[in-house]
Amino acid sequence: MDMKRNYYEDVQLFTSGVIVFWLSVLVIGLAIFPFVAKNYYVYVANYMAINVIVVIGLNLLVGYTGQISLGHAGFFAIGAYGTIVLMTKAHFPFLLALPVAGLIAAGFGFLLGLPALRLEGPYLAIATLGFGITTTQIIGKIKAFGERQGLHAPELTIGTWHLNTDRDFYLLLIPITLLLAVFARNIVKTKVGRAFISIRDADIAAETMGVNLTLYKTLAFAVSAFYAGIGGGLYAFVLRFIEPELFSLFMSVMFLTMAVVGGLGSILGPIAGACLLAWLDLQLRNILSIPYIGEWLEALSKSYFSITGVSNIQLIVFGFILIMIMLFEPLGIYGIWIRTKKYWKTWPF
Amino acid sequence: MIDFFQMILSGIAVGSSYALMGLGMVLIYKASEVPNFVQGEMALLPVFIAYMLLSSYGLPYYVAFPLTLIFALFLGCFLEFAVLRRAKEPNILGLIIITIGMEMLLLGFVSWKFGADQRAMPFPISTYDSIIIGDIYISTIDMLTLVVALIIMLILFLFFRYSKIGVAMKATQQNETAAALMGIKTHRVRMITWGISSLVGCVAGLLLSAVLTEPYMMWDPMLKGFAGAVVGGMTSLPGAVFGAYIVGVVEHLFGGYVSIEFKSVVAFAIIVLVLCIKPSGLFARHYVKKV
Amino acid sequence: MNSVFKNQTQNNKGKRRRSMKKIFLSVFTVLAVTVFGLAFNATAEEGVTDTEIHIGQWGPQTGPAAPWGAVARGTDAYFKMINAEGGIHGRKLVHHYFDDAYNPAKTVAGVKQLQEDIGMFAWVSGVGTACGLAVKDYLIERKIPWLSPSAGSRHWIEPPNKYIFNIYPLYLGDAQILCQYAVKKLGFKRIAIAFQNDDYGKQGLEGATKQLAKYKMKLVEEVPINVADTDLKPHIMKFRKAEAEAILLFVGPGHVARLIGTGKAMEFEPQWMTSTTCGDVPLMMAITKGLYAGTILASFGMLNPKQVGIGNVEDINNPSHPLLKKYHEKAFKQFAAKEERWGLTFAAGIAYTEPFIEALKRVGKNLTREKLVAEMEKIRNFQGIMGHVSYAPFKPKDPLCRIGQQEIFISQATPDAKLKVLTDWIKTEFIPSSK
Repeated sequence: MDMKRNYYEDVQLFTSGVIVFWLSVLVIGLAIFPFVAKNYYVYVANYMAINVIVVIGLNLLVGYTGQISLGHAGFFAIGAYGTIVLMTKAHFPFLLALPVAGLIAAGFGFLLGLPALRLEGPYLAIATLGFGITTTQIIGKIKAFGERQGLHAPELTIGTWHLNTDRDFYLLLIPITLLLAVFARNIVKTKVGRAFISIRDADIAAETMGVNLTLYKTLAFAVSAFYAGIGGGLYAFVLRFIEPELFSLFMSVMFLTMAVVGGLGSILGPIAGACLLAWLDLQLRNILSIPYIGEWLEALSKSYFSITGVSNIQLIVFGFILIMIMLFEPLGIYGIWIRTKKYWKTWPF
Repeated sequence: MIDFFQMILSGIAVGSSYALMGLGMVLIYKASEVPNFVQGEMALLPVFIAYMLLSSYGLPYYVAFPLTLIFALFLGCFLEFAVLRRAKEPNILGLIIITIGMEMLLLGFVSWKFGADQRAMPFPISTYDSIIIGDIYISTIDMLTLVVALIIMLILFLFFRYSKIGVAMKATQQNETAAALMGIKTHRVRMITWGISSLVGCVAGLLLSAVLTEPYMMWDPMLKGFAGAVVGGMTSLPGAVFGAYIVGVVEHLFGGYVSIEFKSVVAFAIIVLVLCIKPSGLFARHYVKKV
Repeated sequence: MNSVFKNQTQNNKGKRRRSMKKIFLSVFTVLAVTVFGLAFNATAEEGVTDTEIHIGQWGPQTGPAAPWGAVARGTDAYFKMINAEGGIHGRKLVHHYFDDAYNPAKTVAGVKQLQEDIGMFAWVSGVGTACGLAVKDYLIERKIPWLSPSAGSRHWIEPPNKYIFNIYPLYLGDAQILCQYAVKKLGFKRIAIAFQNDDYGKQGLEGATKQLAKYKMKLVEEVPINVADTDLKPHIMKFRKAEAEAILLFVGPGHVARLIGTGKAMEFEPQWMTSTTCGDVPLMMAITKGLYAGTILASFGMLNPKQVGIGNVEDINNPSHPLLKKYHEKAFKQFAAKEERWGLTFAAGIAYTEPFIEALKRVGKNLTREKLVAEMEKIRNFQGIMGHVSYAPFKPKDPLCRIGQQEIFISQATPDAKLKVLTDWIKTEFIPSSK
């Protein structure tokens, strides 16, 4: 859409002053947010940020490299358990344990990428699904990981800063999220990113052009697993307690949904998708408190449905939103954004 | 030795219900090119309607079950017509998300309408009788599932080979444009495919619900059915059935001899191994992509 | 083209400066209001006004664990009944319960939202070990009392916390008493266990192993069951191979139904023994189509064995326990939803909060959290519709000061969906978890 005149323009982070302005407004807003908003909203923001991290990684795999993964909860779990175990058993400091856990997850991602070289579509989906289920089962058997009873996250101290409120975690999470988002964007704009895109669009042609499929496909899996691992390590501290049942197939499906609904093949897309769906996930339970709609739903429940199951409206609304977004804009939220931009850019023609 | 046969027989019995789910998924995959996540819930809603008809309205079995099957048929057609067809220029992932959305919607709807308690479905055959051959047991429900699965496979085989709609469905799957040019109403054919898949799923659901009925009961069979269909090849109906039986038997053998906890894990490991050797599943023709 | 953009950004800069000022001004006002607002709230006890007491609860109203949502609804009906009778010292109980779908992330979100938006005086019940563990630290840090977590886990009392009062008899005790009954009373030699792959099941395994070790016996078979499993034939085959005479079932009601049904289909009918979680006899009889008859269960309440008498039969739908009858008439019939089912889970929601209500009444008009804790600690041998509940002044090394109820009794399901009392209350011993 925007014409690029040379390589430098394609690669640079900020394409115009307007973008720099809005980004700085965003950063300032994010910085002020935890000090003005209630603690609960900071918790929601933390949850959204973790989902953003994982979905950016997943999007690198699904949107840019054209693979599919229903097993990202497994990498998430490896990151979470890895961080906690490294901190408690091996006494790593947090700032070292987190990247190392991410790298361990990346190692498993590489291993998962190997069968992916031959599989695609639903076959790959089942292979990754199997991986996700296997990871939780195996973690549930290892005594050092607390077996099925789960693990408590230890106290988190970085240097002299003792983190225990949501605001502290927020101030830790948001810079990490921004860093990882910028990192992802830079990956996409370089040779590695172009290799990913070529694999998605025409992998046989890419191979004949000299793109090493083995290297780049496994690299895609490894990088997205790294992101999921980092997200997992942070999640362990936001939630304070993890157990194998948390990292279920449903979580993997949720990640994939966030990636697709947000918009594949962009960096803003997964951010939008993760924010929207994570927010809905946590907030839909309040649907019955909305002034008029809530009472109407309760009345409807009492007469035609069961009032005992009225909270299931959350599922219905969630599914409905998913269907609506995908029906009207297959490219997801990012697609809506691009369409709006294009419309206004070419207005009034 | 007896145990070995018992395990194989039990594996085949449970594989039959997976096979029915797998059949449904392959039908839809061949028609709409999307792995169908709503297969379980398309069966769940008619099953609960059957429960309502049988317990609240007191209809006899030979009225309630056919009504349920007809409802399932229309539900499948409706889902395709109202939702899937409305997607503009869909890509596979978008369609998958639409099916996931439908799945949540139906699941929420069933839980909302019927509450979350587990229920017992009235069923003409007792779930607890069994046929004994020597020292090997097979419960009557499992026997029924096996027989029904085989009958449905036979019906589908004859349907696809000899009936007009069946041939039209095969034509649409192979080349949609050419089929349309030959005068086949492809949209209607696709709708009917969904209806038939939903019907098959409903049969599986009714047989599964005989043991225990609760809103979340279809997840596990759907997953195993999907896995079985993948092993057998997503584009091959007999492959789906065979794959489902393999999954069932492997699970039972492994669970019996090695470790019960990891039986699902091993099933998936075997699937990945099979896929590494034959990337499109056992029976499917591996379409080589052209640049 | 660049210069066109430059002009625009110049204009934007001017606009930006003005809008920046507006933003800072509004932010400052918000901060000031918050600071001043907080200052006023600090004096009153959170969650208590002259006319209301705010109490929070979480529970799975949706999701695979949704049948346990009846606990929260039971508590809701109970509180409405108390309000109809005039409340507690003139204050109405406002019950806030939300759905967490057994997902700890949602539990944390709901607890934080209710605590920070409205401010709860205390939290009661709360189904789910993982969900509770996720919010435990949050509640402890703020010194908010949490009464009767609805899961018999040792996490609530190891280490004991001043503000957490357990009531649910530990699953360990179920296993111990069931084993004791099976070996001593029924004379079984081969006992096996089917256990769910989580804290609940593992406690059952540990309790059974330890109790049988006392009789120099071992479990002949230990079969783990994943929550998502629907096909339980391999498990039954294992039990049959081990020739188990009695099988302890530390799984959920759905799995119990499948196990008993599959067992019957394979003509394998040992003595089934279930824990306190499967005490809802009418439901179990319905989903097992009558096969549940004869199963021996551990029960933690809803009838008083002393009052009913050993060997006699009690029907939960027509209770003879005077308190339970009152709840059935006043709470359930008046305030429960039309399609709510009167059963063990619903009544449990009432039972878990009885000591809390008792302590609230004893504190009197001047209600604070510390006073509530002090009154709870004075509770000795309180009995509502469960067993005897006792607490003691807080000692950091003594889990028993917060354990609540330690006794259970053994009963048996009858063919007409009633409960036959087999023993009186038996006190269980507490086994600390080995680390």
